[in-house]
Amino acid sequence: MKPLRIALTKGRLEKDTVGLLKQAGYDCSAVEDKGRKLILPIGSGEIEVVLAKAADVITYVENGVCDLGVVGKDTIMENGRSFYEILDLGFGKCRFALAGKKDCDFYAGYNEKTIATKYPNVTRGFFEGKGMDIRIIKIEGSVELAPLLGLADAIVDIVETGSTLKENGLVIIEDNVAPISARLIANTASLKLRKSEIEALADKMEKERAKSK
Amino acid sequence: MKNYAKITPEGTKDLLFEDCLANRTVSDMLGNVFSGRGFHEVLTPALEFYDLFEEDVSGIPMESMYKMSDEKGRLMVMRADSTLPIARMVSTRLQNADKPLRLYYNQRVYRNHLGLTGRSNEVMEAGVELIGAKGKRADLEVMSTAIEALSACVPDFRIELGHAGFFRALAGKLPVSPRKREKIRFYIESKNYSALNSTLDKLPQSPYVDIIRRLPRLFGGIEVLDEACRLCDDEQALSTLDYVRDIYNSLSKFGLGSRLIIDLGLVQRNDYYSSIVFSGYVIGSGEPVLIGGRYDNLLDKFDAPAPAIGFGINVDALSKVMLSRSSIPPIPKTEVLVHSEEGWEMTAIQYTKTLLQAHINAENSVFETLDEALAYARKKGIRKLTVVGEEIRTMNTEVQS
Repeated sequence: MKPLRIALTKGRLEKDTVGLLKQAGYDCSAVEDKGRKLILPIGSGEIEVVLAKAADVITYVENGVCDLGVVGKDTIMENGRSFYEILDLGFGKCRFALAGKKDCDFYAGYNEKTIATKYPNVTRGFFEGKGMDIRIIKIEGSVELAPLLGLADAIVDIVETGSTLKENGLVIIEDNVAPISARLIANTASLKLRKSEIEALADKMEKERAKSK
Repeated sequence: MKNYAKITPEGTKDLLFEDCLANRTVSDMLGNVFSGRGFHEVLTPALEFYDLFEEDVSGIPMESMYKMSDEKGRLMVMRADSTLPIARMVSTRLQNADKPLRLYYNQRVYRNHLGLTGRSNEVMEAGVELIGAKGKRADLEVMSTAIEALSACVPDFRIELGHAGFFRALAGKLPVSPRKREKIRFYIESKNYSALNSTLDKLPQSPYVDIIRRLPRLFGGIEVLDEACRLCDDEQALSTLDYVRDIYNSLSKFGLGSRLIIDLGLVQRNDYYSSIVFSGYVIGSGEPVLIGGRYDNLLDKFDAPAPAIGFGINVDALSKVMLSRSSIPPIPKTEVLVHSEEGWEMTAIQYTKTLLQAHINAENSVFETLDEALAYARKKGIRKLTVVGEEIRTMNTEVQS
């Protein structure tokens, strides 16, 4: 039988997921000292871990070259296409927030507002819900710069503690744009063809997650 | 301006040799099954008016259709699906024909998917529609055709059964707006357990909420139906479960065993499908290769109400899987190159034809000289060269086999 292939978002989500799998009794030594390898076996070879960038996790799972993936809800909301979202893993918690310069009433006036963000789709959806027609500028790096330099009226970005914003003189205008955490996703066909293996793994992960709460 | 003369548009490709042969082979295999079951082939235009594919009716998002305008400025789309054009055709040209109609098609459909994701925007689709017949016999006729079609191509497919009416009955009991209901349906379709839960948590709790909460997980063997029956006391919903059980029991005579599965969370295009729905999966394809179901309300939109059921198979996905498993016979190699001496061209063409009729794979040489013909034969691995002139002589090209 082919190993179950799971794509992990490199970095913190990878560490947290590996931690969870370890608690669940899988041997994760190959992932812990991986060197430069990107495909790694865990357990006794029944699972294979692939390390990838967040948006690529979705691409691999959607195309069925990976059966499962662990990726942040932020990436899903921005790139979401067709796959199954089967478990909220509870870690990697943060939220989408709208933030602007201090002492500025963002909603005042009828001028078209400009929003800088790494997440244009999330931003569009959020303002559509408010019935606001806005202009979006996509920024790749530190989004906080845009309002400071005068390029944008506000930003939509993920916020964990809010300290970066504070240090740069920005305040949160709204932080209920959407709550974020890591999700376990599955390829549509894989979930049907390998139901018992995937459900067993998801159940184990869910149990461990509940324990560590 | 950038010149795009040398590239194909996103999501399209040329099919060469073995890919082309695989595609054609699968199309033929499916076509043989369909016509063997008494379905007749139709083709519909690649261009249709946008009105035919309106989102409310088709469930196909407007953004994912290729659109253009005709000389009167009317909005046109590239065929985004085959069932709607067939429904249009049935309601017009076949309105007085005796029902039921047994139709099949094998043609390309076009969808504009998000760029750079590796998805095809042009897909060959083969399928059947049985129009003007309702009930269990009609459903079994079409579903057994689906199973026969997949069996002809790949032995290890899975067929999944669901019922559009089950979700409809339960969702009708929830105190929610149609928009919220659509959201709930989408969460079930995408098996998004967490979003579904947080939406349902906000509703007044009831047995219906509980069972909808379980819905994305209600897939597997016949035990799924037992579980659903235990959770549910709505008569309408129960009758849909009974029907799925009835169909499951009948289809299990095919000996599919655990390859016949039930998924009550199969709620795709739920306003389009009216009753039984089914899909097919094959190892090696990340998306379903077959999708179908009963759509008794669609013909109403064309003022020609008739019950109908059908399915479509993704020929491209299926042939890709078969090619990767070497289940497509290879392209036969040329065995003999026939070269003519000056003045004997027509005789050589005739001779090549004679060889082909005798099932010897021959090719007529188009080279000016024998040396060129010989060099070509060696390069292509053709082992024999026949020279046609006053006499016919065959030489060995001394190709290593």
